Amino acid sequence: MKGWKPLFLGLFATFAFSWLGLALVPNFQIGHLDPQSDEEGTDVYPMPQSGMAERGRKIYTGNGCYYCHTQQVRPEYSSSDIARKWGDRRSAPRDYIFERPVLLGRTRIGPDLSNLGKLTPPDDQSSPAPASSPVGSPGASPAPAAPVASLDSRPTPGATPAPYTEGWHHQHLYAPRSVSSDSIMPAYHFLYEKRRISGNRSDDALMLTGEDAPPVGWEVVPSYEAKCLVAYLMSLDQSHSLKEVKSNTPPAPPAAGKAAAK
Amino acid sequence: MDAVEVPLKAPSFSADVPASEIEQVERALIDASTRLPVLIFYASAILWLLLGTVIATVGSIQLHSPGFLGNISFLTWGRVHPAEMNIFVYGWASMAGMGTAIWLMARLCRTVLRHPLLIVAGAGLWNLGVFLGTGAILAGDQTGYQWLEFPPYAALILFVAYSLIMSWAVLMFRFRRSDQIYITQWYLVAAFLWFPWLYSAAHLMLFVVPVQGVMQAAVSWWFANNLLFLWLGAIGLGTAYYMIPKVIGRPVHSYHLAAIGFWTFALFSSWTGMQRLVDGPFPAWMITASIAATILTIIPVATVGLNHHMTMADNFQLLRYSPTLRFTVFGAMSYTVFSAVGVLISLRSVARYVHFTEASVAYTQLGLYAFYSMIIFGSMYYIVPRLVGREWRYGSLIKLHFWAAVYGIGLMSLMLLAGGFVQGSGMNDPAIAFSESMQSILPYLRGRTIAEILLLVAHFVFAFHFALMLFGLGRNASVPTFLNPLEDEGEEAPV
Repeated sequence: MKGWKPLFLGLFATFAFSWLGLALVPNFQIGHLDPQSDEEGTDVYPMPQSGMAERGRKIYTGNGCYYCHTQQVRPEYSSSDIARKWGDRRSAPRDYIFERPVLLGRTRIGPDLSNLGKLTPPDDQSSPAPASSPVGSPGASPAPAAPVASLDSRPTPGATPAPYTEGWHHQHLYAPRSVSSDSIMPAYHFLYEKRRISGNRSDDALMLTGEDAPPVGWEVVPSYEAKCLVAYLMSLDQSHSLKEVKSNTPPAPPAAGKAAAK
Repeated sequence: MDAVEVPLKAPSFSADVPASEIEQVERALIDASTRLPVLIFYASAILWLLLGTVIATVGSIQLHSPGFLGNISFLTWGRVHPAEMNIFVYGWASMAGMGTAIWLMARLCRTVLRHPLLIVAGAGLWNLGVFLGTGAILAGDQTGYQWLEFPPYAALILFVAYSLIMSWAVLMFRFRRSDQIYITQWYLVAAFLWFPWLYSAAHLMLFVVPVQGVMQAAVSWWFANNLLFLWLGAIGLGTAYYMIPKVIGRPVHSYHLAAIGFWTFALFSSWTGMQRLVDGPFPAWMITASIAATILTIIPVATVGLNHHMTMADNFQLLRYSPTLRFTVFGAMSYTVFSAVGVLISLRSVARYVHFTEASVAYTQLGLYAFYSMIIFGSMYYIVPRLVGREWRYGSLIKLHFWAAVYGIGLMSLMLLAGGFVQGSGMNDPAIAFSESMQSILPYLRGRTIAEILLLVAHFVFAFHFALMLFGLGRNASVPTFLNPLEDEGEEAPV
């Protein structure tokens, strides 16, 4: 090759072509989506998360949770994601329009979390409603302050909390193998505080047994970060139907669930 | 770092010498001008490599034994893993690659390196950027985008450092003393121009004017794949195009073939990346375009592979002796394997099983290590003796490095690929509980830890050997260090 001009021109052209094709054009296509709503302008989906859940997303990101957990459900024809009950429908670009950073994930060392919040049993949703389903409580902007009170975990020592409740998430994060014996998730002890019980046992202390349990007279309580992380995990929900995606199950059940949550 | 006064093998005798001797003096002068910066780049790269390998070993153990060092916040796997990858990409691969590229550019442009202090400053800043970025990741401040986990302030330092380093390339290319631009120079100029575009375009679209939702994932995969191909891959291929013909003493088989290989490489590999998002929340055409581009990369792979093979023809016995050739040829052959695996796992029918599994990690490792790093090791075995004026001390240590690295990366790729298929077929069958499909790959992950330990041995051996060279403890000899004693003096490699 003689002369540098064709070289430089070619290098520029190939690179620009790739940028145009894989970044710019798709950005025109799916980079400016709005939330959908019904005719009356209600039932808006998705809604931006706020407060603790958004803070929890930072903790989720900062600890690299997204390296092991994806947040995308693949369509039925090409995977078993829906058969595994990770979602009722495939994920669509619109599900993520408020996410920054977007945490689609790339490997599954742990299960997919796209709809983790939907797994929370309905009776647990009554207490920290804004944390467990911020999508279901639109408009209530001062709500995020509420879960600090964390009314739900009434301690009944020795019993493992019901799956996917707030207490269960905390126990799972603190001692994964105490709730799922063959889990290989790291324990996040550093998000919890081990302290001497002064007076009464705290309401939000973890109910640990066996080798995870603190010594007598001590208790393990979630830090604010842990509470935010759990609020984030419980907010993950893509069950709302989208116009552009065919839902696997008839649209009734998710809609009913939504109504109940509200 | 002594031995500064030793340029090369006694180049200076008198004025009435043949042209070849003049050329040798010229080369010695060029080498002398690149000595300090290149050695600084290499030394930093090797330190990062050691740190990265230690951290990678910790991460590998944690994957199958989650209790290992896990209770310390900055050693939790989700921080260790990105720290290791970023150290590997920015600390080791980029720094070593830039060191090699600086030396190759100076040699090929037949010009001394101007303003070496600028580059030294650049290297220092680059180290600072990697250091701050890694610290931020370990402190829990990663950004959440693949290979861009460094927070923007660390990235900014890297970018400033890079502009300092790149200024030499422009200068050298500007002052080059030959009209013909050699193949290696195409690749190096390309890499040095693509990297800043790529890095700044990705940063603009993710941090300055962030794109919406899933587009962030598209941009970050576009970036990660292009970083692997257009930055590291281009440096690796360019280096191989220099080292193989140089060591065996024959010109490249076909210039024409090389040109086809280069332009198809630029065109097709830059369009890959989206296949890693297969069946995700994206328009299908993006993913299909990338799968098609991945398949088309067979063209550059075949042309480059054929070209190297024809250049090597009848000289394969030299692999017995020359460390440079052995590492470089292994790397060049791995490029073919890497691409073949890439094509295989990108096909939709296969991706159904291996998407989201360790197989994609195997693919990345094949590219970063078996292909790129091995070629860079080869170039270091060639360049360092020319900079310090000594030959490598022990042929046996080079052999140990080579075999530990080959078995290490071979075992790792096999374990991750096989483990990925096992994991994927388990995941794909909804009758098998998810945790059960995870349990099935634990043996493979343990095997991977053995591979990491082999790599640890390889890198410590290499670092020790390099330190010997740096402190002037290399052999004072007129012939290079061979891997095996020469059986026939007539076959001496013109290294």
